[in-house]
Amino acid sequence: MASVSVAAEWQLLYSRYYRKPELYQMQWKHIDLSRNKVACAPLGGPIAIIRDDSKIVQLYAESALRKLRIYNSAGLHLSDTVWKHPGGRLVGMSWTEDQTLVCIVQDGTVYKYNIHCDLIEPNISMGKECFEQSVVDCVFWGNGVVCITESNQLFCIPDFANPQPCKLADPNLEEFPLCMAVIEPQYTMSGNVEVLVGVADHVLLVEEDGIQQVGDGIGPVQKMVVSRNGKLLALFTHDGRLLVVSTDFSKIIFEYNCESALPPEQLAWCGMDSVLLYWDDMLLMVGPYGDPVRYIYDEPTVLIPECDGVRILSNTIMEFLQRVPDSTVSIFKIGSTSPAALLYDALDHFDRRSSKADENLRLIRSSLPEAVEACIDAAGHEFDVSRQRTLLRAASYGQTFCSQFQRDRLQEICKTLRVLNAVRHHEIGIPLSIQQYKVLTPSVLVGRLINSHNHLLALRISEYLGMNQEVVIMHWACTKITASLSIPDAALLEVLLDKLRLCKGISYAAVASHADRNGRRKLAAMLVEHEPRSYKQVPLLLSIGEEDTALMKASESGDTDLVYLVLFHIWQKRPALEFFGTIQARPLARDLFISYARCCNHEFLKDFFLSTGQLQDVAFLLWKESWELGNNPMASRGSPLHGPRIKLIEKAQSLFTETKEHHFESKAAEEHAKLLRLQHELEVTTKQAIFVDSSISDTIRTCIVLGNHRAAMKVRTEFKVSEKRWYWLKVFALATIRDWDALEKFSKEKRPPIGYRPFVEACIDADEKGEALKYIPKLSDPRERAESYARIGMAKEAAEAASQAKDGELLGRLKLTFAQNTAASSIFDTLRDRLSFQGMS
Amino acid sequence: MAQLPYLDNAPVNLTSLRDQSQKELITILKNIRGKKCLVIDQKLGGSLSLIIQSSLLKEHGVELRHLAPEPIQTDCTKVIYLLRAQLDLMKFISSHIQSDIAKGIQREYYLYFVPRRSVACEKILEEEKVHHLLVVGEYPLYMVPMDEDVLSFELDLAYRECQVDGDTSALWHIAKAIHKLEFSFGVIPNVRAKGRASVRVADILSSMQAEEAVNSADMGVPEINTLILLDREVDMVTPMCSQLTYEGLVDEFLHVNNGSVELDASIMGVQQEGKKIKVPLNSSDKLFKEIRDLNFEVVVQVLRQKATSMKQDYREMTTTTQTVSELKDFVKKLNSLPEMTRHINLAQHLSTFTSKPSFLGRLDMEHTIVEAQSYDICFEYIEEMIHKQEPLVNVLRLLILFSVTNTGLPKKHFDYLRRELLHSYGFEHMATLNNLEKAGLLKKQESKSNWLTIKRALQLVVDDIDTANPNDIAYVFSGYAPLSIRLVQQAIRSGWRPIEEILKTLPGPHSEIKRGGFSSSPSFDALPGVPASADKVADGRRSLVLVVFIGGVTFAEISALRFLSAQEGMAYDLIVGTTKIVSGHTLAETFIEKSG
Repeated sequence: MASVSVAAEWQLLYSRYYRKPELYQMQWKHIDLSRNKVACAPLGGPIAIIRDDSKIVQLYAESALRKLRIYNSAGLHLSDTVWKHPGGRLVGMSWTEDQTLVCIVQDGTVYKYNIHCDLIEPNISMGKECFEQSVVDCVFWGNGVVCITESNQLFCIPDFANPQPCKLADPNLEEFPLCMAVIEPQYTMSGNVEVLVGVADHVLLVEEDGIQQVGDGIGPVQKMVVSRNGKLLALFTHDGRLLVVSTDFSKIIFEYNCESALPPEQLAWCGMDSVLLYWDDMLLMVGPYGDPVRYIYDEPTVLIPECDGVRILSNTIMEFLQRVPDSTVSIFKIGSTSPAALLYDALDHFDRRSSKADENLRLIRSSLPEAVEACIDAAGHEFDVSRQRTLLRAASYGQTFCSQFQRDRLQEICKTLRVLNAVRHHEIGIPLSIQQYKVLTPSVLVGRLINSHNHLLALRISEYLGMNQEVVIMHWACTKITASLSIPDAALLEVLLDKLRLCKGISYAAVASHADRNGRRKLAAMLVEHEPRSYKQVPLLLSIGEEDTALMKASESGDTDLVYLVLFHIWQKRPALEFFGTIQARPLARDLFISYARCCNHEFLKDFFLSTGQLQDVAFLLWKESWELGNNPMASRGSPLHGPRIKLIEKAQSLFTETKEHHFESKAAEEHAKLLRLQHELEVTTKQAIFVDSSISDTIRTCIVLGNHRAAMKVRTEFKVSEKRWYWLKVFALATIRDWDALEKFSKEKRPPIGYRPFVEACIDADEKGEALKYIPKLSDPRERAESYARIGMAKEAAEAASQAKDGELLGRLKLTFAQNTAASSIFDTLRDRLSFQGMS
Repeated sequence: MAQLPYLDNAPVNLTSLRDQSQKELITILKNIRGKKCLVIDQKLGGSLSLIIQSSLLKEHGVELRHLAPEPIQTDCTKVIYLLRAQLDLMKFISSHIQSDIAKGIQREYYLYFVPRRSVACEKILEEEKVHHLLVVGEYPLYMVPMDEDVLSFELDLAYRECQVDGDTSALWHIAKAIHKLEFSFGVIPNVRAKGRASVRVADILSSMQAEEAVNSADMGVPEINTLILLDREVDMVTPMCSQLTYEGLVDEFLHVNNGSVELDASIMGVQQEGKKIKVPLNSSDKLFKEIRDLNFEVVVQVLRQKATSMKQDYREMTTTTQTVSELKDFVKKLNSLPEMTRHINLAQHLSTFTSKPSFLGRLDMEHTIVEAQSYDICFEYIEEMIHKQEPLVNVLRLLILFSVTNTGLPKKHFDYLRRELLHSYGFEHMATLNNLEKAGLLKKQESKSNWLTIKRALQLVVDDIDTANPNDIAYVFSGYAPLSIRLVQQAIRSGWRPIEEILKTLPGPHSEIKRGGFSSSPSFDALPGVPASADKVADGRRSLVLVVFIGGVTFAEISALRFLSAQEGMAYDLIVGTTKIVSGHTLAETFIEKSG
């Protein structure tokens, strides 16, 4: 049976099975891990290798130049660079979460590389003390590092994304510690990193603000390592004991006596269930119960802990040591009669056209769903493609006999496996297990793929999983630009547009700004042309110096805020005259500039108007300023400060005169100046500050009210006030002071040019019926007469006048006015009847 | 405090729109912890009162202040300015901060722009060297539901800014607001625009859709079927005439502000000397909803009828024996009593204005001008108004009406009237005249007027109007049918094509666009001129037309639109969007330069 061979490869550690499938034959040649410093990124990440400078160099065997090389997990060469940094020996190197390689040298400088061996500036310094004391050792975790100096001081960078070195509490050590381990900040109470330091016969727990002695009596610790969840600690003591304790040292979980007291070269957790110890040629897996498992290696290896196992890298192969998943065990365990195993067997029979297939199915009918589920799960955990296929076929076979089973489970796992198989291919070299894939998340995986320039695969995966492809295309476009220095702009543009079109709503502006940063301004200009969103396009156009296009685009967009943005930019950049010329050609920009300057910068606005020959606008500005001067409390009334005001107005007047079309304005300004002078004189003579800033009509009224008829007359003649207006003004003014005699006298001066209506109105408004009656009969229009009578409540007279006017509509309206008065309304009725009768005859 | 307008009967979900705005404001306030002083500018305060109750603000630890030149007196260490992005408001902030600095007061300052940040405003703050002291954010309030069928963009100065200053910020704002609506209610498939600003808004709207598309796929059928955009510039005649509907008259005489009117308490029959009370005017008041759009003449009759019938009921109640259910009906009727008294008081107060001879004379004159037959009489009337120094705004209204219907005044009269105006009201109004001239509202005659043609073609003057049972929109002005609404009527019925000749004689271009790819109900494609029944949306609701007035709309025009949508054979609900609800008064006021 096929299943026997599968289980034959497993090892049993107490009750649990472990397996160690080979992931890759390493593609590289002539790499000896023992002679190199090696940094392997978890989650199937890349491998960085550099010659260990503490080891002797073999003459002729390798180049004298020291090179940093980066490979993928299958040993495929990705990039290399010559290492020639000053600062002493390379102390440690590791990958951060975003796959940046960080290398710490003795003087405390941290160099960062991306996966392409490009140095990422700026370098980070661990600080002055590190520089002076020199770094001896360091421990990395996810995104941080702790290092120790020759003077036994501890320094830490908690997060490389925001590199701020800090010093931890002084552990007061006399000799260099035996070993160190780190509890990640996310697992500590304080939220800050805690460092475990093995000294003498105990362990110190060092924090930023204190130290604490723990693990008394454990004896000198040679090596220790913290589990992935930060809860357990594996220790190797001087007398060859392996201890697993909780990180607060409150209890010992288990203890194992090794045969040798020689500390292992490497110590690592395999998942949460077992600990691996590696000596020269032996790998020992120790679990809490039972005998450990031994593996023999005749070449050096590196252990790479993962969340669900350990990857083992040797010179020639990469393996993955993991606990066999329960579903797999249930299917392949020798002699297993679990439903899943029977289902798997049934498929085998079915393929061989044996009727036993049906027999098997009948046996497990009731537990078919769980059997299917187990096959699906096992397929997910499988690295071997043909075995994945068989398991999935078994699942699918079983599913056809299940009525209620979540069918998308199978689809989903197929999707996931396709992605996993694609990235596991040795060209890509990311050997993720399904569990690691879930930890990593698809979007981060896509991010890693584009970082390693596997854009096509990234695009296919995001398309396949229905994710937004914008990230991929955007990154591709930027990379393409960087890499295509020799391709001419037009050709490159075509290539780029071809791909950018794939993704609706992609930001052309972002690509363009990348092109600009790469010194391809022209390409940037061509790209930004395709950006539909003006609020992205315009700022970019400005940054690449295309102000005129920016102004045009901003105006077209109708977004005045963008126009302002461009406006201020150009204003700052260009000399005034050139600026004026630019905005004069664009009405919207010009008008907005004027609005802004009207609010805050009058002088500059005047310069603008002068430069464009809009003298009348300068004049309006000056005139406006004259009012502001008047409002200024410093320019108190009656003081000689009227001088400057008048000067401003006169200046405005002369500017109006210079332009042909503004005769009216010029005349008005002239009159205004004259009026101010005259009002000023009046204030002096009457000693009353009530004239300035009133209108001509008001000035006349005030004079009459004050009884100063000569002054009123003077104003009238100065400004050629028409007879009509003069009559209205004088009548109203006299009525205001209720000088009825003067009013009557005025009415008799001569026949008023506009009739007696002003007199009637003034009297009625002042509620002087008697006075009004003097003038009503003199009204020439009977309709007016009728209404005036009506207004003072004389219904009969009103009716008579209205009937004279032969106006039926008027009669009706008057009747309404007298609605309450029945006697009056009957008068109207009779009159109207008569009128309509007349009209008919 | 004043209640928020009742929106549950709105043809689209305006409540969600308002809730959204409310939530956004609360989020801003919540994010600034502790007690805080919220400083808002006066106008914005009015708009906010339609969005959120002031009690709700207090719940979030807010001390409310209005923006004023004087430094802010408060114990709060956190000051939040919530201001419209207007240049002239910035100097207040800088003077406040500088005064605090001088006094050694330390405060945290936040500035939230409505509706969005503005480069120009921030530039001023930078030049005043206070920008770095402010945390700047934005509160995207682009529109405010005024009533169940009215949205306001709250842009008081839009008309003046566009026409006089050439500042078209408002147009972007309007397009953005409509685009926001589309995010809630789907892409509006038909857009018809008339006027320079309207066509521009339609353009900006299209490019916004291109930049940031409303995903029509997951929207389903768009709720709004047609958008009609109309410039105020196209019809400046209507707002200059005195409105004669109930709501319009209230606005003309008492000035409706954000859906309420402020009155002396004595008018409303409350005996409290000198105290002002606020009367809310919106459709939550059932009686008001019934009478707001009627001609005022009719309103008086309706109120009288109602009062009489109630009196009769009361009499029956006291004399005859009643069943319990009859009693119940009676009590139900009694509940409407406060509304009745309110409107009777209000109507009585209004009639003191409407019965004045001066008002009647003015109405006569407006009609004479609109008739455009007796130039000299109109000219002399206006001349006399100036000589009598009647309130400037009243003069300007008639003058604009006169100039617009005549396409300007002959040079001699133009200069003469301007001179008389300056002499009577002061030379500071040179700037006012200049503004009006720039806006084309008071200008020199350069071509022959085509008002008569327009008037005839669109039947703007309707002689026999039965105001009680109107059969035409002309009832809102007792015989004049508003030009703007005639255009809307055409646009809804048959699109622009049949009246293209007339449109050309009105200011500005026009456009008609179809947008969006709607594979759904084919009835939308056959919109113009099809029988009404075909326009109904599948689920039986009537389809919806959004009419946007750029530069403002009057209550009378809204009434006319409501009248239209209530007509038989009209398959549309109408909803009005406007930069602001205006009257001739408020519109003319924006042109007056207050430099003196």
